[in-house]
Amino acid sequence: MQWLAQLLSRRRRYDDLAISIQEHIAERTDELMEGGMPRVEAEQAARREFGNVGLIEQHSREAWQWQTLESILADVRFALRQLVKSPGFTATAVVTLALGIAVNATMFSLVSAFLLPHLSGRDPQSLVVVSSFNSDQPFQSDTKPISPPNYFAWSANKSLFSEMSAADENRTGSMSERGKQAEAVSYAAVSANYFSVFGASPELGRAFVTGEDLQGHDHVVILGHALWARRYNSDASIVGRTVRLNREDHVVVGVMPADFRLLGFTPQLWIPLTLAAMDRAPDARKNRFLYLFARLAPGVTLKQAQAQMEILAQRAQGDFPSTEKHWGASVRMLPDFLVRNFGSGPALALIMTVVGFVLLIACANVAGLLLTRAVSRQKELAIRMSLGASRARVVRQLLTEGVVIALVGGGFGLFLTYIGIRLVRTGLSFDPAISAVPVSLDRNVLLFAAGISLVSAILSSVAPALRASRTTINTDLKSETRGGTSGRANNRLRVFLVGGEIALALFLLIGSCLLIRAVFLRDHQQLGFKHDHLLTARLVLDQARYVDSSKQTQFVRSLVAQLQQIPGVKQAAVASSLPSSGPWNIPFRIKGQQETQSNEKYTAADAVVTTDYFQTASVGILSGRTFTDHDDATAPGVVLVNQEFVRKYFQDRDPVGKQIQLDITGTPLVWSEIVGVVGNVRNYSEDPNMAPQVYEPYLQRPVASFSLMLRSNMEPDSLAPTLRHAVEELDVELPLLRVMSMDEVIDDQTNGNPLFEKLLATFAMLALVLAAIGIYGLIAYSVGQRTQEIGIRLALGAKGSDISRMILSQGFKVAAIGSAIGFVMALPLPKIFSSIFQGQVLFGAPVIYPSVLAVMLGVILCATFGPARRASRVDPTAVLRNE
Amino acid sequence: MHGYALAKHIKQASGDLLQIEDGSLYPALQRLLREGLLESEAGVSAKGRPTRIYRLTKTGLRQLEHEASSFHKMFTGITRVLAVAKA
Repeated sequence: MQWLAQLLSRRRRYDDLAISIQEHIAERTDELMEGGMPRVEAEQAARREFGNVGLIEQHSREAWQWQTLESILADVRFALRQLVKSPGFTATAVVTLALGIAVNATMFSLVSAFLLPHLSGRDPQSLVVVSSFNSDQPFQSDTKPISPPNYFAWSANKSLFSEMSAADENRTGSMSERGKQAEAVSYAAVSANYFSVFGASPELGRAFVTGEDLQGHDHVVILGHALWARRYNSDASIVGRTVRLNREDHVVVGVMPADFRLLGFTPQLWIPLTLAAMDRAPDARKNRFLYLFARLAPGVTLKQAQAQMEILAQRAQGDFPSTEKHWGASVRMLPDFLVRNFGSGPALALIMTVVGFVLLIACANVAGLLLTRAVSRQKELAIRMSLGASRARVVRQLLTEGVVIALVGGGFGLFLTYIGIRLVRTGLSFDPAISAVPVSLDRNVLLFAAGISLVSAILSSVAPALRASRTTINTDLKSETRGGTSGRANNRLRVFLVGGEIALALFLLIGSCLLIRAVFLRDHQQLGFKHDHLLTARLVLDQARYVDSSKQTQFVRSLVAQLQQIPGVKQAAVASSLPSSGPWNIPFRIKGQQETQSNEKYTAADAVVTTDYFQTASVGILSGRTFTDHDDATAPGVVLVNQEFVRKYFQDRDPVGKQIQLDITGTPLVWSEIVGVVGNVRNYSEDPNMAPQVYEPYLQRPVASFSLMLRSNMEPDSLAPTLRHAVEELDVELPLLRVMSMDEVIDDQTNGNPLFEKLLATFAMLALVLAAIGIYGLIAYSVGQRTQEIGIRLALGAKGSDISRMILSQGFKVAAIGSAIGFVMALPLPKIFSSIFQGQVLFGAPVIYPSVLAVMLGVILCATFGPARRASRVDPTAVLRNE
Repeated sequence: MHGYALAKHIKQASGDLLQIEDGSLYPALQRLLREGLLESEAGVSAKGRPTRIYRLTKTGLRQLEHEASSFHKMFTGITRVLAVAKA
């Protein structure tokens, strides 16, 4: 309690001290006067002997203070007063930093959500994922699922993994209770110990128990929170009731809480995974569909597990070379695996770099502002130092001002971040896997925002503070405001800052424009078919009702007939995959051509389509004929090929009448005749190259999972209800998946690109604007400083235009140096982007470089123009009289 | 004793051997006050001007005795060591 008493009695102590010192000096004066000195002289001598009264009082007072804390508080108070006094400066600095901090924090919220998955449950450190990798595979080659035989072999290894569960995470099915609309759901089939491996338990009911993963006992289901809330109105009595999944009754045994979620996986419910005897057969090694989630056995490290798994994978390669060749196994911590599997790292890293640069530019701007201010405060600082403030003390005070600005900016920035995150979240709703991840202003983001606020405080105020504190008391106190007091070193620092800003901004602009253009080119290339006015949907015929191919053919025949009856529909077709939506690649042989070596098989994309497909999609028939209703299972096999196929495999010679043999797993090898050639359609909307493609008639090779397309003159979406109705009439329990227009399908594939483009464009513009403000500030300030000089020049006969030219050229010198540096920095960008995005980037002609440079210089010219004009209008008489 | 008198007293009593800088006297007094070794009260100086009189408290006195004895011990120690060194 003593400290409180001290705190309260401080005011009195200070008064006591002042009185004591006063009396001390008075007494000394008396003494000196007694010695015969005149009063004035005696007083002066006494004071001189005593020393700096203010400083000594200060030091004495410090005995009562928490010294550092209080002096910091005093600095903060002072800084706030100073900032309030110059609202223009404060607003500019705070808003600049707030923007810089807000874009960083907003983007970091994505990093926090997608790259730092939160670990929960028991002992997260031992939770690993076993996956396979194959460097021959193009996409995500190192996070591939595992085949059932490997799962059986590896889960038995109890010395390595204490528990292992397998999950088939990406299944789709239908829910179709009586009285409710049939609905497609994505779900996962998981082994009985799946939830316990994660250490997760249901919010209602129970998890699966051993035995439920055996055939005949497996008609149980655990609902996800979202599905339970939406389809069953959060009805707690659902546990024990029956729901209908894939036309079969399943008993609900539990409901998982909403926070049980793995990044990138979006199952709406879980069923037990049943693996049969045939899943143990060597042939099952080809079917890699299981994700293995495991707990490391006690004492086993990740490295040891990794090494062991490599040995096991090599053993499998030796035992089953035909299926296991090139396939290795890897073990990763769960978050590490999820982040890799999700694959959003490169884009986020890129965006973070961009916003980092924006923050740097913002800091440079604020540093420039602070420098300007420091110059106008030189006298104040000189007075402080002459009164005994040490240089460190002055630097600390100036730094405190920087920190105060940054913190106010950070606070405002957090507010902007809050808005930014909401905007980004709506922008992310294009993908269920992405929108399932809660992006929010969480603890990580808050810490990050605080961190970068401090960093930017230091970045923006250290140089100005050091500069300003290097004051020479005498000259500064004596000098009047005349002349260019800013000093050369000061100007050099500013020129350096602004030049750097321009370089960074140009670098960013060029980089962003390159990427935006690449994305644009990719999204707007000719696809080879007409994608407007097409409504599409996906159907999966289940095994329960559509047992064999004749049932499937029958359904598709009546479906197409039904669809063509819909008013407004011109053509309707069914295809195994929609155009430009990633068809399967298959190997094939050409009759009469020499067998090539097995690893150099011919391959082509393959799609199964109904008769009207080409008409519906507006794909041109170049020669021969298309499929007819007579090309059915009883007729000889026929196929169509595209132009690229003819170019690549027939060297542009007419292929009609030639025979090829497609090698499709699960279907017999037959020779089919090429009956026609159709135009090229891109395999993916973002694929820069055309690929050879084969089309087969649906009636000859029915598939259970297919898409349908309707062409009409109407808005595609307006047809959706009639489409649903038409399918319901055929099968009330068959849900339609992904009912959307073809344009939406394509947008969906280029997922997030529009958002990515928008973000990049926003940040690049922000950089440009900040750089423009920077150079404007520099020039305006130097004009202000040189008013006298300009006045003299004008008085001596310089013309206004000479003055503007002088100022403009000053601005342009900085701009030229900055731009040159930025330009050179940006030269290797296309190469860097190509390596980041693995060759998927298209770059247009190098028009971007000169045009961005021109825009940049134009903006700088505009920013310099105002101050230059003001300079030419200086009234020499007024200025010189002002001296 | 008030501040000036204290400084003067030290100077005179030590025969000019010890001189306290005014710059360190007052901070030191404030620290002693904070530690509770001194107390101060309003008073008047010899010349009749208002000032503050500083006086040792009981704890201050004890602390002084303690410091004095430990200083004495140290001093004796040093003298002995120096004597040995000389010899």
